Amino acid sequence: MKESTRTADTNIIELATFYVGDALCGMDILKIQEINKLTQMTKVPQAPDYVMGILNLRGQIVTIIDLSKKLGLGETDIGQDPRNIIVNSSGGHVGLLVRRISDVVEADMNRKERPPANMGGIQGEYFTGVYKTDAHLIGLLDIDKVLSFDD
Amino acid sequence: MQIEDDEILQGFIEESLEHLADIENDLLAIEEAGENIDEDLVNKVFRAAHSIKGGAGFMGLTAIQELSHAAENVLGMIRSKKLVPTPEIVNILLLAADQLQRMIEDVQNSNETDISSFIEPLNTIAEGRQAKPAVERATPAAPVPPPHVPEPLHAEQFPAEPADVLPEEREFAEEEKYDFSEDDADLDAESESEAEISSEGLHVGSLKSSALSVKESSKTTQSKGETSIRVHVSLLDSLMNLAGELVLSRNQLLQTIASEDFRNAETVGQRIDLITSELQEAIMLTRMQPIGNVFNKFPRVVRDLSKKLKKTIDLTIVGKDVELDKTIIEAINDPLTHLVRNSVDHGIEPPEERKRIGKSETGMVILKAYHEAGQVVIEISDDGKGIDGDALAASAVRKGLLTVEQTQVMSEKEKINLIFLPGFSMAKQVTDVSGRGVGMDVVKTNLDQLGGHVDIISEVGRGTTISIKLPLTLAIIPCQIIMTGGERYAIPQVNLEELLRIPASQVKQRIERVGNAEVVRLRGNLLPLIRLADVLGIERTYWDANEQALKPDRREQISDRRGKHSPYFNSGATSAEGKQGESQDQQPRSVLDRRYASSSALNIVVVSTGAMKYGLIVDRLQDSEEIVIKPLGRHLQQCKGYAGATIMGDGRIALILDVSNIARMANLTSLDGTDRASEVALSAEEAIRAKKDKQALLIFRSSETEHFAVPLNQVERIEKIHRQDIEELGGKRVMQYRGGSLSLISVDDVAMVHPLADHDNLLVIVFNIASHSVGLLAIGPIDALEIGVEIDDVTLKQNGIMGSVIIDKHTTMLVNIYEMVNTLFPDWFAGKDVFGADQSDSGEAPTILIAEDSNFFRNQVKGYMMEAGYNVLEGEDGRVAWDVLQQNKDSISMLVTDIEMPNMNGFELTQTIRADSRFANLPIIALTTLAGEEDVARGKAVGIDEYHIKLDKERLMAAVHNYMKKLH
Repeated sequence: MKESTRTADTNIIELATFYVGDALCGMDILKIQEINKLTQMTKVPQAPDYVMGILNLRGQIVTIIDLSKKLGLGETDIGQDPRNIIVNSSGGHVGLLVRRISDVVEADMNRKERPPANMGGIQGEYFTGVYKTDAHLIGLLDIDKVLSFDD
Repeated sequence: MQIEDDEILQGFIEESLEHLADIENDLLAIEEAGENIDEDLVNKVFRAAHSIKGGAGFMGLTAIQELSHAAENVLGMIRSKKLVPTPEIVNILLLAADQLQRMIEDVQNSNETDISSFIEPLNTIAEGRQAKPAVERATPAAPVPPPHVPEPLHAEQFPAEPADVLPEEREFAEEEKYDFSEDDADLDAESESEAEISSEGLHVGSLKSSALSVKESSKTTQSKGETSIRVHVSLLDSLMNLAGELVLSRNQLLQTIASEDFRNAETVGQRIDLITSELQEAIMLTRMQPIGNVFNKFPRVVRDLSKKLKKTIDLTIVGKDVELDKTIIEAINDPLTHLVRNSVDHGIEPPEERKRIGKSETGMVILKAYHEAGQVVIEISDDGKGIDGDALAASAVRKGLLTVEQTQVMSEKEKINLIFLPGFSMAKQVTDVSGRGVGMDVVKTNLDQLGGHVDIISEVGRGTTISIKLPLTLAIIPCQIIMTGGERYAIPQVNLEELLRIPASQVKQRIERVGNAEVVRLRGNLLPLIRLADVLGIERTYWDANEQALKPDRREQISDRRGKHSPYFNSGATSAEGKQGESQDQQPRSVLDRRYASSSALNIVVVSTGAMKYGLIVDRLQDSEEIVIKPLGRHLQQCKGYAGATIMGDGRIALILDVSNIARMANLTSLDGTDRASEVALSAEEAIRAKKDKQALLIFRSSETEHFAVPLNQVERIEKIHRQDIEELGGKRVMQYRGGSLSLISVDDVAMVHPLADHDNLLVIVFNIASHSVGLLAIGPIDALEIGVEIDDVTLKQNGIMGSVIIDKHTTMLVNIYEMVNTLFPDWFAGKDVFGADQSDSGEAPTILIAEDSNFFRNQVKGYMMEAGYNVLEGEDGRVAWDVLQQNKDSISMLVTDIEMPNMNGFELTQTIRADSRFANLPIIALTTLAGEEDVARGKAVGIDEYHIKLDKERLMAAVHNYMKKLH
């Protein structure tokens, strides 16, 4: 996340926020390639349980990860018209399935707070911190860690 | 170390690697030329070293710079003829070039590399030559640090070989050598093992790793500086041009769609079709690389290896310019190295032996690449000792892979192909060059992965040629599309052996169970069956073709007919997996419907990989398609069952199955050689069985519903006639045929079958029985088939019908035409009642004993004999025949016997007979369907007089008459 540093003292980035289950999460918008609807997906038997399947994004095979499941927040309901956040990670394109896309928030990373101590377990692992806006508390996702491949 | 400009660095690396690739071969050429220095060549190498030095200096790569500088110095001296390039010097230069290559491949750490061991020998050469007297005097005290690396190698490899150097040079070299090996023995060992690793380790290890090369190369681009590729500008221009065209066509298409002008759509479609194929071709071209990239390293490999093995070998390389896809070039490297090393190590004999057997002392290895029928063929041939198929077979027997009987029926080619069996090493003993468990089977598996094909042609004493056929490209592969659990999957055509569909009505018979394993008997071989759904852990389903719907499959076993919840079946003991998803829908299923519905048919894809072959049960078979492989993301790398994915015509994705990993996931145990061996055994058995029971039949009908057959060889011809051609005279049916009258009969005249159908167009099957022609009336369709007959001679046997056989799901009655004729025209036989063609003086018909286990064949042969007027006695196996013979020892004047019989076969029977002095002169004729040479030889050995093909009536009878004449 270091390269997203803009200036030394203010350190403002734009956060794309979205709902994973009921939790409001955010990530640096520059890491997102695009956001689209869930189109026809092919199931992959034997895949890890958080992998929903793969789909064809203009000739690229994209692995769809149920972010909610990955974070241990239960399964995303496909019936509710979820969205796919396409991230171009080092290991190819990955789609993160989220329940709903929310706003883009300008956030000063200097005001980022450490994740609360009681946010342990799987969730704690994937959050670098929390950011407080006027209305909400946004969990900042460590997207590299989410995408990292654990055997 | 900081390197500022990546692009320039990358350029430097590529350029340097190119230079280095050339240097190696040029140095070898320089070595060959020896004192007749080819200045151009030396200049070229010099310049290459120089430009590496220059580039490295510019990039701040000091270590590379220093080493190339030292090499340049030595080369400079060779160029100015101050130094003769002896093998030692070239060796040092080669080692330096190798080191340069290693450092350039790992530029970032090159400056930390210790290169003193390479620079010092170079400097010693440079200085030593300039100050020759000084060195000579100095050597005993060894003030100059000895050349470290090359010398021990030298000492190890050819201690006895006199170095081809100038006198002073040799002295220098040898003294240095001794000096060194005493002082620094451990370095010696170390450097040797290092050399070992660089040649062997790479060879063995990488072969294994490239077993999955298709998969890996598609997933990640391999390192070794192959992340970029050089493409000719003209090719890029044409790509650009095509891309432009494509954009224009897209615009046209969009316009056409907007204006709903569908007539134009076709034209635009064609245009896009054309452009995309051209574009595809052009892009493929960018991936094409000359095979020389791989071939170029072999002169060095062969040189090093032949020195080590003390052989002299000429390597000829033909067709360096042949281009192949980059992926294939990368992947064939290891198999080719293995094959070339095999040729050098095992193929070419040592010089002394070659001399002894009158060959030139220098062995030849030829590496050749050329295009043939859209594929590239690579041939590795040597003029060495060749592969001894018998030795291989013997070795296979020793290893318990095959039995002696199995090897006996194998052809020379099959024996040679045994080399591909896993666990089979060609080497009599394990040398450090080969025979380390990386056998030809790995080579074959690797090449199979590439969609290649290996073929061995070998002649003992003359040499071996291994030819490899490879596709031009891998990026697009033909695949069979199948469907399971509602998803489509692709199976590469390379792995596909055949598609098998077992109709619902046959599932129960054809699918057998051995313990828990389900198998199907396919042409005599047991084929293990794997359910794709089970391997993938998805719900078992089947495709109901009538309802066009996918339904869950509840059958526990494929051959199960009952639903698990039927009252007859206690489901208490069924597996948990089987119970899933069954609790809700329990509506009674119509068992009867399912049993005969086409939806219950089983679709099996027979696949093979390496030495393994199995059947994959899938829901549906779809088309065969050419697909483009796309890599799966890293989250799915752990799913070993897939080789990648592809995008289908409808935009959805289909996974490509990795056939060998699926077998592994299903715990298919037949990974070892024994299975293949048993397969060979089975096919051998099958061949014997086929030999025995194959029979050509003519199928016809007489009424609409009943099917009949007669042995094809009894049929003279078939005529088409009209019903009005038949004349009924004197209670008999005749027709005019070839200027005479032909008696017509129909099956229902004799046998209790339906009457001849009332068709206008009839067929007349003409037989020649007892020198009379007779026509059998029949109706079409007629067909000639060759089948393995298992004749049921009980159920439907009656007068005129010798039995029945199931052909193509129809019970077909075999017509005994002799019996029919005998019944209808007894006088035909009566006229020549007593004797056939040869009347004997004794006035009594000779008796012939027929030993044959198949009623069918026995009846036929009997028919021939009776027709010729002989008396016939029968025995349905060797033992019975022997008893009959003993009982009628005076009357029997000849034995006609089958070879394959239960209890006592033809050979044993003959042996028994010949052992008894009473029958020493009894003529014995053996009958086989196809007389194999081995059989004939064996038969002659035990005392069989003549061999005849079972259904070759005329020759058989001629032989019988012949013997009879002799007897009487």
